[in-house]
Amino acid sequence: MNPDIVKLPSVSEVAASQAGVFALVVPEIVLIAAACVLFILATVRGVGRERAGIAALLALFGAGVALWITAAKFPSIEARQENIQERTATLKTLASSDGKAIEKKALDEGQRSVELSLYTNSILQSRIGLLTRLIAIVGGIVLVLFSWHQVSHYRAAEYHACLLVIVAGLGLTGASNDLITLFVALELISIPTYVILYLQRTDRQAQEAAAKYFLLSVFSSGLLLFGFSYMYGVTGSTNLPAMLDGLHSRPTQVLTLVAVVMVVAGLGFKITAVPFHFYAPDVYQGAAPAAAALLAFVPKVAGFVVLLRVFGFIWPQYEFWPGLVLGLRVPTVLFWILATITMTVGNVLALLQDNLRRLLAYSSVSHAGYMLIGLAAAPGLSLASSPMAGGSEAVLFYLVAYAAMTLGAFAVIIYLGTQERPVETVDDLAGLGQSHPGIALMMMLFLFSLLGMPLTAGFAGKLLIFMGAMALPAEAGGQALPDVDKLREYALMLRWLALIGAINAAIGGWYYLRIIGAMYLRSPLKALTPTRTWQGLAAMWICAAVTLGLGIYPWPLVKAAHKTAAFPEKLSDQAKAP
Amino acid sequence: MGLDQPRLELLALLLVPLVGGIAVALLGPKRGDAVRWTSAVVAFLTLFLAIMVTGRFMRLHVSLAEDIAAVRAKGVPTFRPEFVPGSPGVKRDENLKPVGEDPYGTSWNLLPLGRGAVQFYIGVDGLNVWLIMLTAALTVPAVLVSWTYIHERVNEFYAWLLILQTAMMGIFMSFDIILFYVFFELSLVPLFFLIGIWGGSERRHAAGKFFIYTLTGSLITLLGVLGVVLACYTKTNGELTFSIPRLVEIVHTRLALPDRAEQAYWAGVQTWVFLALMAGFAIKVPLVPFHTWLPLAHVEAPTAGSVDLAGVLLKVGAYGFLRLCIPLAPDVSLSLGLPLVSSLAAVGLVYGAYCAYSQDDIKRLVAYSSVSHLGLCMLGMFALNVAGVMGSLMQMINHGLSTAGLFLIVGMLYERYHTRKIADYGGMAARLPILSACMVFVCMSSVGLPGLNGFIGEALSLMGVFEQQYTRGQFPIYGVVGATGMFLGAWYLMTMLQRVFFGPVKEPSLAGHGHQAPITDLTFREVLTLAPVLILCLVIGVYPQPMLDTARPDVGVIDSIATRARERDRVATAEREAARPAVAENDRQGVAP
Repeated sequence: MNPDIVKLPSVSEVAASQAGVFALVVPEIVLIAAACVLFILATVRGVGRERAGIAALLALFGAGVALWITAAKFPSIEARQENIQERTATLKTLASSDGKAIEKKALDEGQRSVELSLYTNSILQSRIGLLTRLIAIVGGIVLVLFSWHQVSHYRAAEYHACLLVIVAGLGLTGASNDLITLFVALELISIPTYVILYLQRTDRQAQEAAAKYFLLSVFSSGLLLFGFSYMYGVTGSTNLPAMLDGLHSRPTQVLTLVAVVMVVAGLGFKITAVPFHFYAPDVYQGAAPAAAALLAFVPKVAGFVVLLRVFGFIWPQYEFWPGLVLGLRVPTVLFWILATITMTVGNVLALLQDNLRRLLAYSSVSHAGYMLIGLAAAPGLSLASSPMAGGSEAVLFYLVAYAAMTLGAFAVIIYLGTQERPVETVDDLAGLGQSHPGIALMMMLFLFSLLGMPLTAGFAGKLLIFMGAMALPAEAGGQALPDVDKLREYALMLRWLALIGAINAAIGGWYYLRIIGAMYLRSPLKALTPTRTWQGLAAMWICAAVTLGLGIYPWPLVKAAHKTAAFPEKLSDQAKAP
Repeated sequence: MGLDQPRLELLALLLVPLVGGIAVALLGPKRGDAVRWTSAVVAFLTLFLAIMVTGRFMRLHVSLAEDIAAVRAKGVPTFRPEFVPGSPGVKRDENLKPVGEDPYGTSWNLLPLGRGAVQFYIGVDGLNVWLIMLTAALTVPAVLVSWTYIHERVNEFYAWLLILQTAMMGIFMSFDIILFYVFFELSLVPLFFLIGIWGGSERRHAAGKFFIYTLTGSLITLLGVLGVVLACYTKTNGELTFSIPRLVEIVHTRLALPDRAEQAYWAGVQTWVFLALMAGFAIKVPLVPFHTWLPLAHVEAPTAGSVDLAGVLLKVGAYGFLRLCIPLAPDVSLSLGLPLVSSLAAVGLVYGAYCAYSQDDIKRLVAYSSVSHLGLCMLGMFALNVAGVMGSLMQMINHGLSTAGLFLIVGMLYERYHTRKIADYGGMAARLPILSACMVFVCMSSVGLPGLNGFIGEALSLMGVFEQQYTRGQFPIYGVVGATGMFLGAWYLMTMLQRVFFGPVKEPSLAGHGHQAPITDLTFREVLTLAPVLILCLVIGVYPQPMLDTARPDVGVIDSIATRARERDRVATAEREAARPAVAENDRQGVAP
């Protein structure tokens, strides 16, 4: 730990540092405010489907603009740190000693303020926060668009208001810098989700799904909170950097392990990791398609972002090597096991499904498995400040790719289904290639992306994941690490994991191909009669553009992910030592 | 931009079919004739471009006139693609500062990662130039043969056919290892639809099996590809490159180091890389235990699909061995690959021939003959000497031509009688003289009659195999099996010819097909379809020298790689002999008196 920070900040310093926090959450404030207005209007007088939808879209665009302004106005913690480093590097070149002294003082102050922000603020302007909020807002727009005609007129306002709160919560999980804030952000996602699940359908299946999700979600929140409390107990702080510092400076003990396991279990429900996945198929099938899409997207993004943050796989920090917070052994072994069973169970069970939403539920389980490969490999990334993509970048990239292709697939199903002719099973899509060639082409794009075909985002994501998993020994090359032999062992484990992932991707090919086969190789059983709506088409187009764009030219997102996950260089040589 | 005319032509060769495919798809299913004519124009345009590129490359090579000895003396052997679009790439040091030009790259980056980048790095060299030509040459018959055969969803059919051509061109042209993989995977998609929509009665099963089988192998190949890239990354202080020539150079520079630890490291890496790459390519070739997708896919595919599948896509596997496996894992190719692949190939050669003999369906017979012929091709390649590799390369081209010819004629026969059963036919030579003459001609080419193309490849491959085993002082078992395979090839093809085309006339009944016009011999369009294939068979058979000349320098690279591997193997064996404990030596002496 930097000696400066040992000096406790004064109350006024903390107050000054905290004062800026509200400005950072303007996007979320916009969303919540809009949600409140919608809630109130919904009770006073009916708000139609159209008006509620437009209001939600406006709120999301407003939040986007607010995000853009705050991002421009308040530099992220990484950018601040980089700026200080650049100036320190040019310090020597300054001519006058007076100028040097002034600059040195300014730099010290800057450094102090960065550290204060890190160790006292509960909301932090960081790259992971900005990226998460961007994903949340764009994903939110897609969700609003394809739920447009799914909700009844008199419930539309509540539905969209809930969606806005969920988007706000998702953004906050990325931005929060404190265990308590993090937990609140996660609850901000969960609670409106229960409402949405109950709102949309009233038949028994839907109610069963809602009840199931509610109970398990509450249970998982309990587990998560339990884990967080142990983390606090071990380290004495709820502030994330301070907590990670604390975990890092102590040898791993049983209490820490309990905390880690509980947190992973709690988040495992959200990311549908096996064995915490079993609610997913029932709930996806029982819930309305739009709600199923919401469940496939929001909790997964939130869960992975929190996993990356809480275990220090991504950290705008410069005091220690991230990923080594828990050492190599615990995260590698834990996520190795979790990834293997999650992928395998998800893919094998998806083979047996006929119901499309159930199939997509298992598919989302298997994709969680691929992303867990990235987490298992994430500790390797930090071993050198390498220019290469490692596990954390791969997870961030894959999250975006996954969101685009899964939301896209759901958007197609929602678009095609009508009250009289719902799209439930694979057979319902038979002959789509002839009856609706354009829609079928887009569905094919999403399915090939899920399958991992080149020129789609899914391929770029899998490439990065596999590369991250296989890069560990390369990263260790030339670094004087205390446990190089151990590292070799983990490298071997991760390569096996990559192989298991590749075989799983091939198994996955079978069921995605079945849908493609049904669409193109079979003739229609009963014609689908979708109503053409611009909202449904727009939702599909957004997802298709992201899927194809990231497939053909993934560089911008890879770069952004790299800057998010990579680590500004440390300042002093002393801090560099492991 | 770095786009002079030859580069532009190469790029156009890759993109014209893609653009044509999209255009054809947009024409809609109603405008059948417009779709057909557009596709034909695109196919001929591609052929024209391919001839231009090949011509330029041949001229270039005559002027360069490198000999095998010169290649050998040139230091680290590696490939040298010509006509690479884009300016030369930029080399970067550890701090990402540019430090000069990278001769093994281009400036067209797709995904920069650290010091390297996945690049759009395509080019022509001696190994791929004739395969590119073959791909272009076979698209013309593939388009023409489907003219009347395909009635439904015409625009989709031709779109997939043309997109398939782009994918196949891309596989052969790529010099970036990830780009290669991208095209390798993409080639599955069009073929999946071609088989699955327009195939025979078992089409959906066949398409799915083909897709999943190949996908499984290629995903493991991807791991091998990443493995070799990352091994080079580790050993070069963080130089991340995806360029195949540069990877080959790095591997060979590191292998030449006299460092024990280094050698042990590469021995391990090579084994895994070889096995992983082989997983994908062995399925694609196909080598024998992995061939079960092939008969099904071939039989169910429409004629155009079979032509492309047998003519070009099967070569992708063999080409992958040649371009990636042998150069990137030379020692293991010698120590493990030679016995393993050669044995599988030898088994496939004989087994494929026997299976072909026992088929009652002509198309199935041709499909199994592919298994047999590619066995010989792989046998020649893994002789790992000039004659063998050259023969293998020729065998790829020749098998492409003659098998495409066989599938075309079988397709034409099927279009007339709606059956492929050998037992239904007899004495067709009297009924359809021109078609039968063409069939006999193509069969002769496939059998390896001197003076036709098949002979060149088979003879060179066998020479290579015999040479390799004689120089090692072994009994030339692979050579003997190879020669037997050629004999068996003549056996099953002649039997089929005799049953179907000669003897008493026996026409299949046309009842149940609501038949219209009387059966006629080949139409002008069909003659035009077959003519290029037949002419090429004859030309290559009589005068193969230009092909051999253009391929020679790059075959020399492979040979030089193999020679170095043999040298290392010899040194290592000698060292092991020397290090054998003295006790063993004493024992032997004790026994002798």
